[in-house]
Amino acid sequence: MDHPRRYAKSHEWARLEDDGTVTIGISAYAVEALTDLVFMQLPEVGATVTAGESFGEIESVKAVSDLYAPLSGEVVAANADLPGNLETLGSDPYGAGWVIRIRPDDPAQLESLLDQAAYDALTGSGSH
Amino acid sequence: MTGGGACGLTLWRDPPGEGSWNMAADEGLAQFAEQTGRVLMRLYGWQPATLSLGSFQQAATLGDVPQVAGWPVVRRSSGGGTLVHGTDLTYGLAVPTGHPWGRRAEDLYAAVHSALVEVLRERGLAARLATPVSTQAAEEFFCFNRRSFGDVVIERASDAAGDDKVLGSAQRRLAGVVLQHGSLLLRRHPEMTGAGSHPGIEDLAGDRDVGTAAVIDQWLERLADRLGGGLVENAGSSWKSHAVDLAPRAARYASSAWLNRR
Repeated sequence: MDHPRRYAKSHEWARLEDDGTVTIGISAYAVEALTDLVFMQLPEVGATVTAGESFGEIESVKAVSDLYAPLSGEVVAANADLPGNLETLGSDPYGAGWVIRIRPDDPAQLESLLDQAAYDALTGSGSH
Repeated sequence: MTGGGACGLTLWRDPPGEGSWNMAADEGLAQFAEQTGRVLMRLYGWQPATLSLGSFQQAATLGDVPQVAGWPVVRRSSGGGTLVHGTDLTYGLAVPTGHPWGRRAEDLYAAVHSALVEVLRERGLAARLATPVSTQAAEEFFCFNRRSFGDVVIERASDAAGDDKVLGSAQRRLAGVVLQHGSLLLRRHPEMTGAGSHPGIEDLAGDRDVGTAAVIDQWLERLADRLGGGLVENAGSSWKSHAVDLAPRAARYASSAWLNRR
């Protein structure tokens, strides 16, 4: 089943998968604001990430942005195709443009994130 | 801060300092801007002359550029290419992400850079904002050999053979604040050669006196006007004397681990 996406105020999205892992990516709103992406650094599988703290960096032509973990856990997969194909973040931010997958320490942290309506209100967006 | 109200621009003019201290001071400035919701700016120079690498640049590439041998080097937290500091005026501008200038990178570049373009044009220099180019420009080692949206360039007067970049900026976007670094090149650095050597606004003015101090003052006043709250100068007080935790921050920027992180 498709679980709904949740969002951090720092514009990362998180989605619970059927196997209990959580997929994390960057919202279309944030990708659109970054423009002209050139570099990306991802954590290695096995690394731990902490909610609210940086887990990676992405550079557009002249702006470096931190990626913040929406929830804590261990990285079980990183989208290795992404750094060489950054356009995927813009073309399919909620599918092929996923960034990392983690095994969350506490899946209930998802509930503290914004739902779609709240995130749309934050960004002034109608839909994604 | 959420509405970008008329908070104006709070400014510190700092004496020249070492690279690690300058980067530490800007990091502290960004944190203070996030905490207070104010737009803060720091102007400073570099002593000794120093190279600053962009956040994603490979330190190993320094070995491929012979003219930089022996120069002190620091890695910025912001993006972009390598800057040659010593005859430039550098700024650190910290804008809370809730501010209207904080969302899109281009908006902040445009706000800061177009104000300078206006002042330079009034002084008779053919300044303009560079037009967007492909991301291939990111391959150039030196920032001033790159052209990207919002760079301030001055068209060459006689031979119509291009332009010279005089102001380039780069950003670090954190969760609650954007730190924008920029370098306004005042004059060509006498100890830099080859691809790292570029003319500044005083060189490009030719025989005229461009009035550098007045250019900078007018630029800042226009920037403050656009923010809507005026310019608040912290005269006689440097940001470095105001900031906290400078020493441990500077130690991190001075470490080989930070310089060689890529």
